[in-house]
Amino acid sequence: MKIKNNLIKPFLTEGRIKARKNEYTGYLDLLIENDKIAEHAMPGQFVMVRGWNSNDPILSRPFDIVQVDPANGLFRLVIKITGEGTGLLNVLRSGSRLVITGPLGNPVEVPHGEKIVLLVRGVGAAAVVYLAESAKNAGTEVYTFLSASAKNRLVCRDYLKNASKDLNIITDDGSDGYHGDARDILERFINKSKPDRIYTCGSGRFARFADEQDRKGLIKGFVFLESHMACGMGDCHGCAVKKRDSGGYYLVCKDGPVFPVNSVELD
Amino acid sequence: MDLNVNIAGVILKNPVMPASGTYECNSIHDNIFSPDEPGAIVSKTIFINSREGNAPPRICETPCGMLNSIGIPTAGVNNFIRDRLPVLAGFGVPVVISIAGNSLEDFCKLAGIIESTGKADLLELNLSCPNLHHGIEWARDKNELYRVIKRVKEVTNLPVIAKLSPSVTDISEMSLIAESAGADAVALINTYKGMKIDINKRKPFLGNIAGGLSGPAIHPLAVYAVYSSFTKISIPIIGTGGIASWVDAVEMILAGAAAVGIGMYNFVNPLIMREVISGIEAYLKDNNFDSITEITGIAHL
Repeated sequence: MKIKNNLIKPFLTEGRIKARKNEYTGYLDLLIENDKIAEHAMPGQFVMVRGWNSNDPILSRPFDIVQVDPANGLFRLVIKITGEGTGLLNVLRSGSRLVITGPLGNPVEVPHGEKIVLLVRGVGAAAVVYLAESAKNAGTEVYTFLSASAKNRLVCRDYLKNASKDLNIITDDGSDGYHGDARDILERFINKSKPDRIYTCGSGRFARFADEQDRKGLIKGFVFLESHMACGMGDCHGCAVKKRDSGGYYLVCKDGPVFPVNSVELD
Repeated sequence: MDLNVNIAGVILKNPVMPASGTYECNSIHDNIFSPDEPGAIVSKTIFINSREGNAPPRICETPCGMLNSIGIPTAGVNNFIRDRLPVLAGFGVPVVISIAGNSLEDFCKLAGIIESTGKADLLELNLSCPNLHHGIEWARDKNELYRVIKRVKEVTNLPVIAKLSPSVTDISEMSLIAESAGADAVALINTYKGMKIDINKRKPFLGNIAGGLSGPAIHPLAVYAVYSSFTKISIPIIGTGGIASWVDAVEMILAGAAAVGIGMYNFVNPLIMREVISGIEAYLKDNNFDSITEITGIAHL
């Protein structure tokens, strides 16, 4: 599943915020000018970003690359505002400069002419948009299940809608789409549609569901993992995730961030 | 401008090197930084056998710093010699191999194996990793510290750097013991043992409970460790701890460091070593010095 041979090495580069919006509660959508990332980033890859000069907070923050527009030298990040670093990014205006390392991590293979399911929750939606768009362009049918606590947190909804043959909404409070645990509609969909692959991000429950389906042997399951990390380049060994059947750990940055769901220990 | 420094007979073209475990010299850096730029390169700490490392979470951000409980995952010395050492030795800069063990015998065995490859220029004894069961104890017990350095020196001709722990009453005494045991240089300092508690889970944040604190938060502590050791010993000091700019590095050198190690800031800014090298050079020029050795320890005058 890894494409390593002609993979471009990461750059340390600067980007300028072209546009920003807070369309969904608790999220920041950034369109960033940077030719190198726009040209070279592939689905599944991420960048490390800092937008402040001080050493507090000290670590850059990792974010999945949501969309790229190589013709205009732009790429998009969708960021969940959770703490100090993301809070500082959220107060930056258009025109502000960011320090960016990337593209990082291994690209995920884009399925051609297949049928795939995306099971994503919260900011996990941001991880799969690029894959969804690339898969659609490669003649793959994309079926997306987007989950959030409430309607105003269904981040990346429009991006995923455009890339999906069908977008199903699930909310915890019933403010939009299906209300509550979506297990039964997921099972019904899978039994009926018989997809080739499932990709999940942002939910342990979805990851376990993908794992169950993968075990049946008919569908390949993949999980996009996030982790605390300091460098994003395999130096710090901070982003360890336990291997499932053999001893030791993978590094999310260097070995992932997308893993076959059956290869890692799920939370 | 003469940036050369002499560490136990090994000439470094500049006084900057990575701290062990913070820069892997992997080709992933190719577009950013090259391993032939620092004065020396330093391996991750090598053990006899392979190690998995500690359970995650392994890192935790703190004010101006970071706690880590990585636990030194490594493939073991045989795999290291086969797969990594030829790579490290191929950059044309001196190679420091960091070693650690759970026993005196481990240290001696590793020293012998590493020396026999002919590819290492300096041996660093990691006597102070806070994430190992025995790690920090070597550097905290005067007798053990003396014994392990003395024994390693008996079995190897490689120059030996003793990497010491700041978690002691007076690190300058430990530096003196390291010197009297035969160490050719000391590296001051390793991380401080510390911890973070998740107030929502009401549990330690790190998988291994405690970890080592690094980053700018510890820099003034590291400068003092170097300053207080400098007048007691005559062997060179590699000043390491929280260096995040050339200014921090110059401070460390004025305090008495012959060379400096850059640690966690390699994670923050993958160009930091280059920036420190050029910053030191510019500082010397601006202040009319001809060589780096003219300013080593002059804060004491």
